Amino acid sequence: MRFDWWTFALQTVNVLILLWILSRFLFRPAADIIKARQAEAGKLLSDAAAARESAEAERRKAAAFEQELSARRAEALHTAEQDASARRQALIDAARKEAEQLRLAARVVIAQAREAEAEAADDRASRLAVDIAAKLIDRMPESARVAGFIEGLVEAVAALPLETRVELAAEGAPIPVTAPRALAEIEIGELEAGLRRALGRVVRVQGRIDAGLIAGLEIETAHARVRNSLRADLEAIQNKLLTRDG
Amino acid sequence: MIRSPLMLEPLFHVGTVPVTAPVLVASAIVLSLGAGARLASRRFALRPSRLQATIELFVAAVDEQIKGVMQADPAPYRALIGTIFLFVLAANWTSLIPGVDPPTARLETDAALAFIVVCATIGLGVRARGLRGYLATFAEPSWAMIPLNVVEQITRAFSLVIRLFGNVMSGVFVVGIVLSLAGLLVPIPLMALDLLTGAVQAYIFAVLATVFIGAAVGEGGGQRASTPNGDGNEQH
Repeated sequence: MRFDWWTFALQTVNVLILLWILSRFLFRPAADIIKARQAEAGKLLSDAAAARESAEAERRKAAAFEQELSARRAEALHTAEQDASARRQALIDAARKEAEQLRLAARVVIAQAREAEAEAADDRASRLAVDIAAKLIDRMPESARVAGFIEGLVEAVAALPLETRVELAAEGAPIPVTAPRALAEIEIGELEAGLRRALGRVVRVQGRIDAGLIAGLEIETAHARVRNSLRADLEAIQNKLLTRDG
Repeated sequence: MIRSPLMLEPLFHVGTVPVTAPVLVASAIVLSLGAGARLASRRFALRPSRLQATIELFVAAVDEQIKGVMQADPAPYRALIGTIFLFVLAANWTSLIPGVDPPTARLETDAALAFIVVCATIGLGVRARGLRGYLATFAEPSWAMIPLNVVEQITRAFSLVIRLFGNVMSGVFVVGIVLSLAGLLVPIPLMALDLLTGAVQAYIFAVLATVFIGAAVGEGGGQRASTPNGDGNEQH
């Protein structure tokens, strides 16, 4: 076995050439591309982190805006509730006022109706009383309807004021005396005698008929009115009752 | 007359320089790897192809190996360690080509590789520590160890040569003997085993080169790293 120095030298050169070639065309480009990829990955990670930070900021901004919207909505709802409450209160007040007015009007109407009803009842009672009185008088003699009232009429004429009596006597015309039936001659004579005493001069009586008097006599002229009849008494009683009820 | 398989006859001469078969095969390996690297690196991109990913994986593995052994930035040593590994691996696997003997089965090729490793160890050690600092490492732990440390430097370089030469040459001899005694297909399992042996030897050679350089430059604490197989002697 012999060591060939030429082969040793050439192999050394071969390996050194390969070392130069691979260093230039394999290891350096590979290391560079790995470093570039790492740099790119780092940049991508940085970009991603920045994008994530930006997205996070946007999310925070959106959350703040949403919170602001929520506050505005709550404020608007509160204002609307206050307005609705005020309007409801106003409507309630108006309704109460209107109901009070209606109640007062109804009370007035009810009072008027009650008053009318009371007047109607009184009227019916008066009519009933007149009817009762008329029926009672019908059972009495016809002379009682007039004879019993002549003295009362004379006294009432005598009780008139002097001026009224003078005017009543000064006219000269017959004094109209209303009776529930036609006066008899004797009743006219008694009336003229009584009135002559009360008026101080001779007078004539002109008889008139009004069945509504029931019983009694009445004088009605332009200046004086003297009533001495059951109708006048019943009307007086009715007025007195109405005055007491009122 | 039986010719010794260890004899090296020149195939032709270039001037006065004899060119032998291992030189020719090694040159072919250099051209193939160089052309392949040039073609592959042209297509390097941020989005890697399958070939680029494989190359980057290899480079990353070399870097990890260097960092693991030297605890230092792998960039200054990447090309040397990676080139040694690729050349030894390619040279070992040329045994699969019929009629071609692997260049690493010749003592001159292994000696050339070991010579480059020794030169790189000395050069990088001097660059890292300075001449005095590098020479001072021979006096560690005491002046009395200087002869032993010098002898260690020489013997471990020889161990690199002999380990690789012995393993690859023995594989070639075994396959040749079996082929001469048995049929055509019988040596195939042995050839497959040579593939594994070739890869392991390439890895061991590269790792030992890393360890020697790491011990010389003193990075990683400047301590002498232990070899993966303890005494540095591994036989196939």
